[in-house]
Amino acid sequence: MTELLDSMPKTFGGLSRVTGNSMCRRSLVDYNVERDGKMHKKEWVAMLLAGGQGSRLGCLTRHIAKPGIAFGGKYRIIDFSLSNCVNSNIDTVGVLTQYKPFLLNSYIGIGSAWDLDNSHGGVHILPPFVGEQGGRWYKGTANAIYQNIDFISYYDPEYVLIISGDHIYKMDYNPMLKAHKEQNADVTISVIEVPWEEANRFGIITANKDNEIVRFSEKPAKPDSNLASMGIYIFNWSVLRKALIEDEVNPKSENDFGKNIIPALFKQGKRLSAYRFQGYWKDVGTIESYYNANMELLKDNPELDLFESNNRVLSNTDILPPQYIGTFAKVNNSLVSNGCTILGEVVNSIISPGVFIGEGAKVEDSIILPDAQILNESYVRKAIIGEKAVIKEYSSIGIKIGGNPRQSGITVIEDNSIINEDSLIEEGKNIYGNSVA
Amino acid sequence: MKKAIGIISSNHKEEFLQGIIKDRPIAAVPFAGRYRLLDFALSSMVNSGLRTVGIITPFHYRPVLDHLGAGKEWSLDRKCGGLFVLPGSNNSLQSKNNKFSLKDFLNNIEFLEFDTSDYVVLTGCSNVFNIDFRSVIESHEKNNADITMVYKDVSQDSDTEIEGLFLNKDNDGKISSITGKWPKKDEQRDLFVDIFIINRNLFLEILKGYENIEYLDLIDVIEENLKTLKVYGYRFEDYLGRIISIQSYYKCSMEMLNPIVRSQLFMGTNRIHTKIKDNPPTKYASKAAVRDSLVSSGCFIQGEVNSSILFRGVNIHPGAKIKNSIIMQRCDIGKDAVLENVILDKYVKVNNKVVLKGMDGSPMVISKKAVV
Repeated sequence: MTELLDSMPKTFGGLSRVTGNSMCRRSLVDYNVERDGKMHKKEWVAMLLAGGQGSRLGCLTRHIAKPGIAFGGKYRIIDFSLSNCVNSNIDTVGVLTQYKPFLLNSYIGIGSAWDLDNSHGGVHILPPFVGEQGGRWYKGTANAIYQNIDFISYYDPEYVLIISGDHIYKMDYNPMLKAHKEQNADVTISVIEVPWEEANRFGIITANKDNEIVRFSEKPAKPDSNLASMGIYIFNWSVLRKALIEDEVNPKSENDFGKNIIPALFKQGKRLSAYRFQGYWKDVGTIESYYNANMELLKDNPELDLFESNNRVLSNTDILPPQYIGTFAKVNNSLVSNGCTILGEVVNSIISPGVFIGEGAKVEDSIILPDAQILNESYVRKAIIGEKAVIKEYSSIGIKIGGNPRQSGITVIEDNSIINEDSLIEEGKNIYGNSVA
Repeated sequence: MKKAIGIISSNHKEEFLQGIIKDRPIAAVPFAGRYRLLDFALSSMVNSGLRTVGIITPFHYRPVLDHLGAGKEWSLDRKCGGLFVLPGSNNSLQSKNNKFSLKDFLNNIEFLEFDTSDYVVLTGCSNVFNIDFRSVIESHEKNNADITMVYKDVSQDSDTEIEGLFLNKDNDGKISSITGKWPKKDEQRDLFVDIFIINRNLFLEILKGYENIEYLDLIDVIEENLKTLKVYGYRFEDYLGRIISIQSYYKCSMEMLNPIVRSQLFMGTNRIHTKIKDNPPTKYASKAAVRDSLVSSGCFIQGEVNSSILFRGVNIHPGAKIKNSIIMQRCDIGKDAVLENVILDKYVKVNNKVVLKGMDGSPMVISKKAVV
């Protein structure tokens, strides 16, 4: 046989001799793996909650779920969580969607924009589905994971990372996992220090010096700690699985992680540990916080450094030509994305891809979302202009009225709106609908 | 129906591009802020529905393969068809019109043999254009042609001599001769733009018939057989930039500042695809003053920029003044530096207060990674 092989060309029957041999050897190993049922085994998988509407963002979320809202010019909010996963070497991410998922689903696709298009693992979009007993919507964050127990079991992980798709932050989840293991914890909750005076707005966690959690208080009037939960959890899968099943049969439960699962486990005496995260983390749940988080990027040395070459934030953008800045244009202290044409003036603003700003138009302290158009001689001040919205000529958006305007005076124009010529819109207004005189 | 496959030949040299082709073949020359010259031919093919495209590589092909990868950005990472790398030959006989050397095709004849499509779309890669090959194929079929050559009428463009091949046609529109001479003022000035369509079976026949004189160029063979073959022309109306010298590279780049050119090239439904770098948006500082310029993502601009093209990740420090220049990827322009009519290749560092000025229309070229 050896002689025969020697006389053969190197490639025989489609396999080179070398690979042929190693294939034989490898297949034995493969059978063992198959028999043990560990083909799909992962150390950890991430479950990304992206189904919420984000109703406090008003007209920004009428067409797209909150994780899909554009942020910082070219990004969308979910980019941060997905990039964190890939930068933490997590290769299996389940994305739970429910509210208006079409744009979000098409944006995520198979995850190739985040290098998450793996042959084994990768991004899975998990919408509510129908089974033998009919189908149900996701009732709460915990119920969403409960309904996907089969998905997680398929990968048979040791740990499950629960994250949410509506926070802006850069985080390596590996140190958190390491702490979780070292603490021998059942659950680890990531916490961040918030200013004491703001602590009453958060879910506050009190931990002892060994980072063991001793108390929870949801939006406490008199907080005894300034550690706020970031909504990021690592569970031992066996513990989480049991807790989800118990929670599901409890009719009084709201099926929420923060409200039900964590307190239940605490009562049962499981080891709950806090992981103190240091770095940038922002919840952008309201118009004001969304606006402020965007504007912080314009500071000289922003806390969230998008230019940093390590741990880059990846995103899924169309291939657009470079931006063109016109002969009479003026752009200062702003972020401008690809595919924009800027012929007017832009100051202290964030301009998303594909935006057009006409001659004589002026945009100030504003966030212009993708493909919006501000036509000639219009003026936009302290506003969020929705995707594909058109502000026609000679309009003024965000006119000062003095006093105490709504939402800190931020004007929001919904996606796809068309604002007619010569329109005057006062500050703090939310403009819904397609055509406004 | 799979009607056509594409071949892009990048195995040719443009000798007059000075420094910017020192380390890279013409196919990989950076253009318009974020593209490489190859992107235009490749995107046109993909946007016209071609699903199988072969690239004949130049001798120094690292930058080309680095840019293309598996062809993901052009949707060419396919199970059926996709991107094929066709190794080019190391040609010692580099003649001027040697863009479509028979030897290159003969070396890769399997690529043509194993396909079942009717037509092969062939292009070079030193031109900037966005063409819909579907209309060229339509005209090819209407004429029942063997070969259709795409040309651009340049009689309006220039009074001075243009180098290249010109097509003469008879009354039926059939090409009667191909000449390298600049036509006289009252003659047709129909410049061949290195784009043509040939029936695949005829192409295979030609390759087999000329097997022993493989150093010939396909265009020479077509010229030789104009009498027996049905060769037609197709007039291309939109923008086409030809890059044959550093002056034409500069001129062509600056034409990107023209909104009509940009709308024809970039803004239609058929977009030019390129490798994605995923840079952040460009940051304009409070004292930035940018006018009439094309700016790519990931730049940080604190100085003054006029009528220039900035590639990705360029850093311009306060007080720097840039005018009529092309600044490639990740260059760093120091405080109060002055640049006028220059082309900076990638990663050039210009120190504080350095003044660099080229001539109007004939720019100064600073090569890759230089520190000035």
